[in-house]
Amino acid sequence: MGATASHLGKDLLSEYQELTFLTKQEILLAHKRFSELLSKEDRAHPNPRVPTEAILTLPELKSNPFRARICRVFSTSESKDGLSFEDFLDLLSAFSDSATLEIKSHYAFRIFDFDEDGTLDESDLEKLVNCLTGETDDTRLSPEEMKQLISNILEESDIDKDGTVNLSEFQHVISRSPDFVSSFKIVL
Amino acid sequence: MTHYSNGSFYNPAYHDSETLELDRRSARMPHHSNPYAQEEPPWQAGRTTAFSTVMGQRGHADHGSRMDPWEGRQEDSRRGQGSLPMGPLSTHPQSPPWQQTPHRSSFQIDSTAYHDASTLSRFPTTFSANMTMGLRGMTMRRMSMFANGDPSHLSITEVAIQNELEHEEQNLVKDLIACSTKDRIHGIRKLPMSYEEKKHIRSQVLAFKSSKKSRHLSCFADCSENVSLSFRRCGSSMALARQTLALWQGTMKEIGGRFGTSVLSYFLFLKSLLMLNIFSFLVNFAFITIPMFAYNHLPQIPANVTFRGLELLTGAGYFNYTVMYYGAYSPETIMGLLDYNMQLAYFFTIAAYMGLCGASIIYSMASSFKMNYVLSDPMAGGSWQLLCSWDFSVTNEKAVRQRKNNLRIQLKETMSEKIQRKGLTPAEKMKHFGIHLGAWFISTSLAFGCGSAIYFLSQYEQQQTADKDDWSLQHEAETLLVPFVVSLVNLVVPLFYSLFNKFELYSNQRRQIYALIVRNVILKMSILGILCYFWMNEVANKFSCWESMVGQALYRLVIVDFFFMMLGSFFGEFLSNVIGTRLIPRLGVPEFDVARNVLDLIYAQTLAWIGIYFSPLLPVIQIFKFLVLFYLKKVSLMQNCQPPLRVGRAAQMKTIFIALLFFPSFVGSLSLVAYTSWSLTPSKHCGPFQGLNNTFSVVELWITDLEGISASTWVVWIYHKVVRSEIFYFLVTIIILFITFIFWQVTQGRKLLIILLRQQIVNEGKDKTFLLEKLQTLQKSQPTQQSRSRIPKQQTKRRSGGSSTGVRSNSNAMVQTFLAGEQGSRGNYSRDVPVPSDISTSFQRIPIASDRQSSSDAPILAMQGRQRAEVHNYSTSSTLANPLVQVMQARQEHDRPSDGMDDGSSSMSGIMMQVMEARKRADEGDGMQARPPATESSVPTTSSALIQAMLARQQAQNEYDDGY
Repeated sequence: MGATASHLGKDLLSEYQELTFLTKQEILLAHKRFSELLSKEDRAHPNPRVPTEAILTLPELKSNPFRARICRVFSTSESKDGLSFEDFLDLLSAFSDSATLEIKSHYAFRIFDFDEDGTLDESDLEKLVNCLTGETDDTRLSPEEMKQLISNILEESDIDKDGTVNLSEFQHVISRSPDFVSSFKIVL
Repeated sequence: MTHYSNGSFYNPAYHDSETLELDRRSARMPHHSNPYAQEEPPWQAGRTTAFSTVMGQRGHADHGSRMDPWEGRQEDSRRGQGSLPMGPLSTHPQSPPWQQTPHRSSFQIDSTAYHDASTLSRFPTTFSANMTMGLRGMTMRRMSMFANGDPSHLSITEVAIQNELEHEEQNLVKDLIACSTKDRIHGIRKLPMSYEEKKHIRSQVLAFKSSKKSRHLSCFADCSENVSLSFRRCGSSMALARQTLALWQGTMKEIGGRFGTSVLSYFLFLKSLLMLNIFSFLVNFAFITIPMFAYNHLPQIPANVTFRGLELLTGAGYFNYTVMYYGAYSPETIMGLLDYNMQLAYFFTIAAYMGLCGASIIYSMASSFKMNYVLSDPMAGGSWQLLCSWDFSVTNEKAVRQRKNNLRIQLKETMSEKIQRKGLTPAEKMKHFGIHLGAWFISTSLAFGCGSAIYFLSQYEQQQTADKDDWSLQHEAETLLVPFVVSLVNLVVPLFYSLFNKFELYSNQRRQIYALIVRNVILKMSILGILCYFWMNEVANKFSCWESMVGQALYRLVIVDFFFMMLGSFFGEFLSNVIGTRLIPRLGVPEFDVARNVLDLIYAQTLAWIGIYFSPLLPVIQIFKFLVLFYLKKVSLMQNCQPPLRVGRAAQMKTIFIALLFFPSFVGSLSLVAYTSWSLTPSKHCGPFQGLNNTFSVVELWITDLEGISASTWVVWIYHKVVRSEIFYFLVTIIILFITFIFWQVTQGRKLLIILLRQQIVNEGKDKTFLLEKLQTLQKSQPTQQSRSRIPKQQTKRRSGGSSTGVRSNSNAMVQTFLAGEQGSRGNYSRDVPVPSDISTSFQRIPIASDRQSSSDAPILAMQGRQRAEVHNYSTSSTLANPLVQVMQARQEHDRPSDGMDDGSSSMSGIMMQVMEARKRADEGDGMQARPPATESSVPTTSSALIQAMLARQQAQNEYDDGY
């Protein structure tokens, strides 16, 4: 919506400002960057989507280990592929400086929830750790280490001892790791 | 735990089920006043017809009729159930139908998992299908919006889900309407939903608002609305202006992208100090220096003093006669358009600046403490903290790789630490303790030794100095000796400290860094303390214009410190880079030492604060220094350093740095300035306060003047009753102590509460696993019974709705859970997939066969169900064909024999299929409607109760989470 126009309408802009944590300048910058990603034929579309591959070429996301997950979580399209401008704004809003801890932790949880079943279970945690330590065989932790680490993680955060970390538990953990808010940040 | 059931946050059913009472729906219904009970009959009536109109209705659904498409969608929700939670949100009034269809189907896959999980009453927070609901519920709870209990989730049917969603959304909208405009905007912004959904909520709220407004349009409301609108606009434009003015944004991003947050925090710290100094310069220049210029009260420069260039370093000579120092300001009241009392201006400007500085530091320190210390729990291990501290702002490919490596190493370390922590023999402990003691002793004595050496050096230098105006060039250069030594000590001794630190064995790294910081702070404090003592006691008694002499000394310290900072980055970063890369590769590329550099900054700022009284324009030098330093450090960082090896704790370090800036640095300089103005006699022949006993008597004189003027009696009153009265301070102290005590007590109480609640959660978890096991055994023991009894009940449940008087049976609940799962798995299937005819016919047989006692049906059906699942589950995601099976397997507490498990689960899937098919038929309204609810009452009621109990647990959990 409005992404086809070379500039955003005033009403639209104020709506964007009202519904996201971004400032006017950030929205305009986001719009500029988004328009650059659109291909020619997309531009004609009323509500264009930038395919995931194009989004991933953004230098801000290119080397992020969670880039695919981020795109997937923020995509509202049916195939979970590609972001509309509003999805893109949502992404930037969640990763902006002024977003609340609650929003950030919620999206972090979704990003970490690889199988999208609503809890972080052992397989999610394993994928998470692999994502953070590198996927290749020589960089990833050995199975024993992984097992130990996951049991440590669960011991730390699984308050109700059901073997998984749910959103509340995750937010609890997050609220006690003060670095999270400052590091869960992507600035265009 | 679950946001699924959060709708019933205050559900009294929790208390009912805590005792695991057998559930009787008849008893429950009036108690909870289930809203869905009343809504079911129309749903039932509408469902036969609604299907055909669903798509059309959805297309032009408006707010008023949004209920209808929902109920209509019942029909297809059997296939696309996953879309349900998204549905109400995505039915935006303006959005064309094509926009919603993607929404619905996009969540199909996920919802499978969701329903799958909920089948075994785990009801996790689902982030895909159910997320909006759950999180909205959470948000609402956080906004304390849940006034009414709502037990709808106890019957987990799709209608309940829908209704609950509907209900929650309406609640949300209602509450948002009640909010003020600002709260509303914040409330909507904080919803963890997609943009489209937020827009929808907003449009609903706005639509309601505007309709309401047209009814009671009052001038006042209009005005207040306008005012608040303009305030908001003003606020947002201020934010915009701040962002536009934000210094070095691109640079900061670059640094953050390569080196991460912890290094970035140094630059942010530097920037905030720079801002503080710019502010200080503006204030001082505007209120002290400009009046001097304006009325041409500039000091006369003696003829024999000329600018020689060395002044830039020493600050002596020519500079001594400029507005740089205290001595150049005149004490007169400047007569012009307005009388401008220089004495008062000087005093109040410095006081106001110090006050504002203090307030801003305290504010940022307090908020930082709140964020980083109050919430952080040292008991929790570090694994999560490491995982959570992944820096999303790092964009450099190489840096990312390095970070991954570092993180891996750190993860391994935390694991080994955990193992290591246990074994430390007393002998080892003694050894560690001895080493620490020795290191502390050496470092402290080193600090004091340096302090006293500097004292004697200053004394010696002062003896050489005569109190006269014209200094020889050589003499002027000699004054640089003390600052040079001070800066040298500041540069070299910390290196020794780092060396000790290497030999000491610390159990954790944090303690090591803290020890290093504390030692450095002690060193810097002792040096500055000695210097201040020297200035206050010796310089003040010797020189005729001692304030300017102190100002000069501070100027020299600031300048020389600047050069040494540059040298420090040369030695600290460039040289060690050269050594690390060329000479001793083992050392590697150096890291940027954030702690050391920040301590240097704090030291520099302390000098500037002390100097503010003696040299009002010292901030100019400081601004220049920090500007250069910023670019220098940036270049040095980019060229010489590698990203820090350890991640995490950046935020805590930041808090510590602000605290250090406040405690020894700011408080020290403030007390020094206060001591100077209260107790020391100002110079007799220069400066604004000449002829006074002490600086503060300016205020006394002013008050005596004011006593004659009747208009300002309140100032006099304040002065006498507040500033100069002991009783006032006494009372304030008492009150503050009292408040502190109360808050401390409250904190203790909260701690206790947290422990209790945590215990409660653990207990809930235990209950849950116990109940799950029970449920599983039940499910296994009566698969055939269930398959028979389910279908009739399925229909009757709907039909009887809220008025049902029959006892809720075991399988009623089972059916509901299964349905949820089935819908989920159904979500996977495309609508167009044809049902194999053999299977469907066999399914059709089931209701008929349900009277028979033969148990052979179930396995067959199970197989068929499996087959079906395989046929249809072409989804690539890891969601389940037969969700029940996997969940059961996953949740199995003890490993059961796998064959038995398989048996059970396959029959489960068969059962599910049966239910599904039966439901389909029922929904389509063929002959099954006539079936009586025969078996319903005969089945034991236990598992319904179990499910209820579990749900209640979930609510309790929610309650706890919220309370947290």
